Amino acid sequence: MLHFLVNWLASTPSFATPYALAALGLIISERVGVLSLGAEGFLLVGALAGVAADLEFGGLPAAALVVAMLAAAAVSLLFALLVVVLRVNQVIAGLAIVFFCQGLTSLVGTLGGWTNRAIAGLHAVAIWPLSAIPFAGRILFTQDLVVFATVPIFFLVSRILSRSMLGLRLRSVGENPDAADATGVSVSLYRFGAVLAGSALIGLAGGYLSVVDVKIWIPDMTGGRGWIAIALVIFARWQPWRALFGALLFGCIEALIPRIAAAGIQAPQYFLLMTPYLATIAVMVWVGLTKLGRLKEPAALGRPHVREERR
Amino acid sequence: MLDQAASRRLLTTDAASQRSAGSLRVGRINLEVRQSIPLWLQALILGGAALLGIAVSAALLVAAGVSPKDLFDEFVVETFTDSGNFHSILFQAAPLIFVGVGAAVVFRIRFWNLGIEGQMIWGGIGATFVVLHTIGPPALRLPLMMLFAVLAGMAWVALPAWLRMRLGVNEIITTLLLNYVALNFLLHLLYGPWIDPKDAFPHSQQFHSFERLPEIGWGLSSALPIALLCTALAAWLVLFSRFGFYTKFVQDNDRMALAVGVPIKAVTFVCVLLSGALSALAGFVIATAQEGRLTQSFFEGYGFSGILIAFLARNNPIAAMIVAVLVAVLFVSGRSLQVFYQIPFAMVQLIQAIIVISVAASEFLIRHRLHWVH
Repeated sequence: MLHFLVNWLASTPSFATPYALAALGLIISERVGVLSLGAEGFLLVGALAGVAADLEFGGLPAAALVVAMLAAAAVSLLFALLVVVLRVNQVIAGLAIVFFCQGLTSLVGTLGGWTNRAIAGLHAVAIWPLSAIPFAGRILFTQDLVVFATVPIFFLVSRILSRSMLGLRLRSVGENPDAADATGVSVSLYRFGAVLAGSALIGLAGGYLSVVDVKIWIPDMTGGRGWIAIALVIFARWQPWRALFGALLFGCIEALIPRIAAAGIQAPQYFLLMTPYLATIAVMVWVGLTKLGRLKEPAALGRPHVREERR
Repeated sequence: MLDQAASRRLLTTDAASQRSAGSLRVGRINLEVRQSIPLWLQALILGGAALLGIAVSAALLVAAGVSPKDLFDEFVVETFTDSGNFHSILFQAAPLIFVGVGAAVVFRIRFWNLGIEGQMIWGGIGATFVVLHTIGPPALRLPLMMLFAVLAGMAWVALPAWLRMRLGVNEIITTLLLNYVALNFLLHLLYGPWIDPKDAFPHSQQFHSFERLPEIGWGLSSALPIALLCTALAAWLVLFSRFGFYTKFVQDNDRMALAVGVPIKAVTFVCVLLSGALSALAGFVIATAQEGRLTQSFFEGYGFSGILIAFLARNNPIAAMIVAVLVAVLFVSGRSLQVFYQIPFAMVQLIQAIIVISVAASEFLIRHRLHWVH
């Protein structure tokens, strides 16, 4: 039992990290008022770019993750152009980007010959002597570098959002773009920048899925994690630390599935695979039931800023 | 109303002001929000955007190694001259009409049903359930299969609809995630209790001939007339009936609609259930007319096509039917490209996405007028 518990908790961070990073990226872009439904697409782009870079550069996983971030940011330029400059309905634009990325990645993956090719990827490192602590060493200090970097990234982003001038401007653009515009904050510029930065983080999450977790690229391998991350952000009420908590919760659920199989417990496989999706819906229902008090969504979320339409 | 003089005033965009701040002053772009636009100009802009999307897609295909002449042959010449190809397009059109009209009906009231594929899966499961449990006499088998498919699809979409109306749960995420749940349930059935006992492959047993939609002559399946009938009914419902007027009210101003006593909840629920039923019928016709059994991936690609068709058709069922036939051309040509040029079928999805992006972006020109000021 204890063995099962340690194995389960030790594998949780690597399942939670993609959710955490994707949710954080979404929070950045939604805090400026851009509803980023394209997350699933950016995850796919990051995943493919990571594997492609790893294969082409001869196995430099850190460089592959950087390429994943850059690739997702590059594709998000198109999304930002649509929603920030051309003021396209953000739901339509987000959906179109998801399907664009699904088509693009499975096409490019096949044409480039990167599909179904295993890579060495990034491995876990043990931080000695902390890793020698019984149980906790295995769970907390024998992980890969991205897991270790996630908490500092969260600290940095949450600090910027809540305690800096940049964060104040970003939030003002998401809460009241007209007022922000009147005080001289360029709404378009901040939204553009936030979408790019947020998508880079989502791309990192996608790269993590392919380069660190499964170490292979398969079309549509993200399996709806982008949508789960969007639900996580709603559950977290756009607060970074709550999103990290939610990601750990989902990491726990997802990590349980292979553990149950490994422990030899007979359970209907496909019903187990449904659990992350059902858990997400359950969480959404819980949010709907409680409304979670005073934490509201960014007031201008999903609303394009049209300076010419003064109210 | 807006003050006419104020709205006519020319206002500068951020991008333009930055450009004019540079040393090279060639002029600047001024933006104006249009008050109205003539229909011909609107059609011109949308048509131009669709053509641009098609041109970009063609360029992509040429870059992927299809020569321009073959491209023209495959998409235009074959479509109109080859009777086999023409048949397969009409064959392919039926499920696309169902998903397109289904999406058009529900998008009218701003309910984002992204669970089309899940509802298709349940349509297929409902129909196959009747076959495997031999419910009803052979003569009644097909209508019963259709009924079970429709009920299953409606039940599957009822949950997210209820959650949104009762608790305000975002239906984009719930409908989409339920697709994955439906898919896993389908796989559970096909790898478990419903596996074909003859060849032990993960698909259901072959349907009997009386469980398959009959042909109506000229090699056409009866799926197409059913689809056309459903389109006509949906068009009457949302375009000409009192109910349709309500949907327009709910779409344009739901608070006003509530204030004057339009039964918003009933209208929303009926539209959503109708969409679920039409999506389920798409699954039903693929299982009963095309495949003749329940397979693992019969629904793939239809979800997005439904959204695309509804978007390009401006949520009008009649227009959706026409767009669906055009998308069918794309599907059929995409399959032959896959066979003859090893272009992955994902190209079809990419082309659809490019056209949507192009048309969506062009609405900027419909809503705004650009001026070049020297």
